[in-house]
Amino acid sequence: MMCNRKIYQLLFTAAVFCSCSSIQKVSTKYYNENEKMLNNIEQSFKTLYRQNPFSIEFTDRSFNFVSIEIMTDSLKYIYEFDINETRLKDTLLKYALNEKGISDIISQMRSIHCTWINSLDYYVDEQKNSLIFISMRPVGLSKPFTNKKYYILTYFSQPQYFNSEGKLLVKKHRNKIRKINGEIFWRINDKVCYTIAARFR
Amino acid sequence: MSFRKLYHSIFFLISGCFLETNIVRASDAVGIEKDTTNAAARQQAIAFLQKTDTLSVSSFWPNIKPATFLENIKLNINKPLSIYEGVSTNFCGYAALSYILLHDEPLLYAKFMVELYKHGEAIMGKASFRPSSEIKQAAGSMKFKGKLDIRPADQMWFLSLADHFKGYLNLFDKHYDAGDEDKLWASVNYAKFNRMLRELFDEKVDAIGTDLIHPAISDLYEYISSMMQTGTMVLYINNTFLYKKTHSALKLAVPTHYIILEEISKVDDTVTIVYWDYGGRSLRQLTPKFLKRITYGITHCTKKMNDVQ
Repeated sequence: MMCNRKIYQLLFTAAVFCSCSSIQKVSTKYYNENEKMLNNIEQSFKTLYRQNPFSIEFTDRSFNFVSIEIMTDSLKYIYEFDINETRLKDTLLKYALNEKGISDIISQMRSIHCTWINSLDYYVDEQKNSLIFISMRPVGLSKPFTNKKYYILTYFSQPQYFNSEGKLLVKKHRNKIRKINGEIFWRINDKVCYTIAARFR
Repeated sequence: MSFRKLYHSIFFLISGCFLETNIVRASDAVGIEKDTTNAAARQQAIAFLQKTDTLSVSSFWPNIKPATFLENIKLNINKPLSIYEGVSTNFCGYAALSYILLHDEPLLYAKFMVELYKHGEAIMGKASFRPSSEIKQAAGSMKFKGKLDIRPADQMWFLSLADHFKGYLNLFDKHYDAGDEDKLWASVNYAKFNRMLRELFDEKVDAIGTDLIHPAISDLYEYISSMMQTGTMVLYINNTFLYKKTHSALKLAVPTHYIILEEISKVDDTVTIVYWDYGGRSLRQLTPKFLKRITYGITHCTKKMNDVQ
């Protein structure tokens, strides 16, 4: 009886350990494999966002339904579409958004299982800055024993500071860790960080 | 600690399983920016603040500079829609309450805030605020909360409200520690929300709903649209459906968010709502079934007749 219990504990620990280490590997591998596409999505989004602020979210696991938030001075319009509906195109045109550019981003996001893209504001010394926040649900992260299924990338406009472990810091000379949406982020390069989270936004 | 765990377990036991099958429809709908703030009351509040421009540093609030404090209050009075509860906090109930205060009683808000800053305590309605020393230290130093980072007066206001008003959700976490703004310490159950309105403001508050069961209203759209004609409408909703954060089919079947409903209309089977939350107004289209699924509480506030006259 005791022996069975130990075996069970051992198996459980091994499964959890394998799951965690696998997530770290998938994180790095995923970015390397999709770097070009991710950077392309980020650049296109940034350019189009400057013209008219918006965000894109896939609302289902099969990536068939997309929600678009269109920000105007007075109101944020939140619409959801089947990606094959003509209403999607009509709505983008109605709000004078770049229909071709946004449709391309949606297709690219779908191809790499990217669930959400938005621009987020953050503050340093009371000065407003913004970053591009991209969430993905890669197949490799959908492992058992973890609720952290989303791979999140943040693209900063300026180089950031990191500690020796690669954790994102608030400032150069302060070892205070910066959190974004309540999560700690790790360095990929000077301007790009990642985390694994339970929520995509 | 074991009580807290037990409490969490009970809270999660009430969760249910939902498959999301509602697809909203986009059609023509227009939102018009409107400012429903009492203009005369706003002018009075601004005039009051102009007299207070020489506010000196408060020994009660060491992390709040008077200039940014006043700037924050002026912003709230001039742009009441911009008040923002912060990223990942449980301040949405206090923000919804602030919307009503800033629209109906901006002068009361301005006087209260200045009093609280100067003397470390103040009275609003039937509530006498004496924030704890931890609250006074924390206000003005919150970080990573988006725009709330640079709004010390809002930090002071939200923290003071959460410190003063307690409901059953706060029973096991009454003492503020750093980061508690994201936890049960700051949570607002429905009864607490309505109690805050009744104690703070001179308003008639009609509320229907609970923390666990949807209100028993056969035609929710008709009920809400008829009530909206006469006052401010707050909906207590399940946020995990309105703002999806995961693709999990398992979602807590409890409300977690307060919104101010500004407009509602219906064409065929599509309900269009314009609501305020997170420092801005949003337009969204839903099915009546989805509206019913997310709504747990409906609070209707009207200024008492003496004030209106």
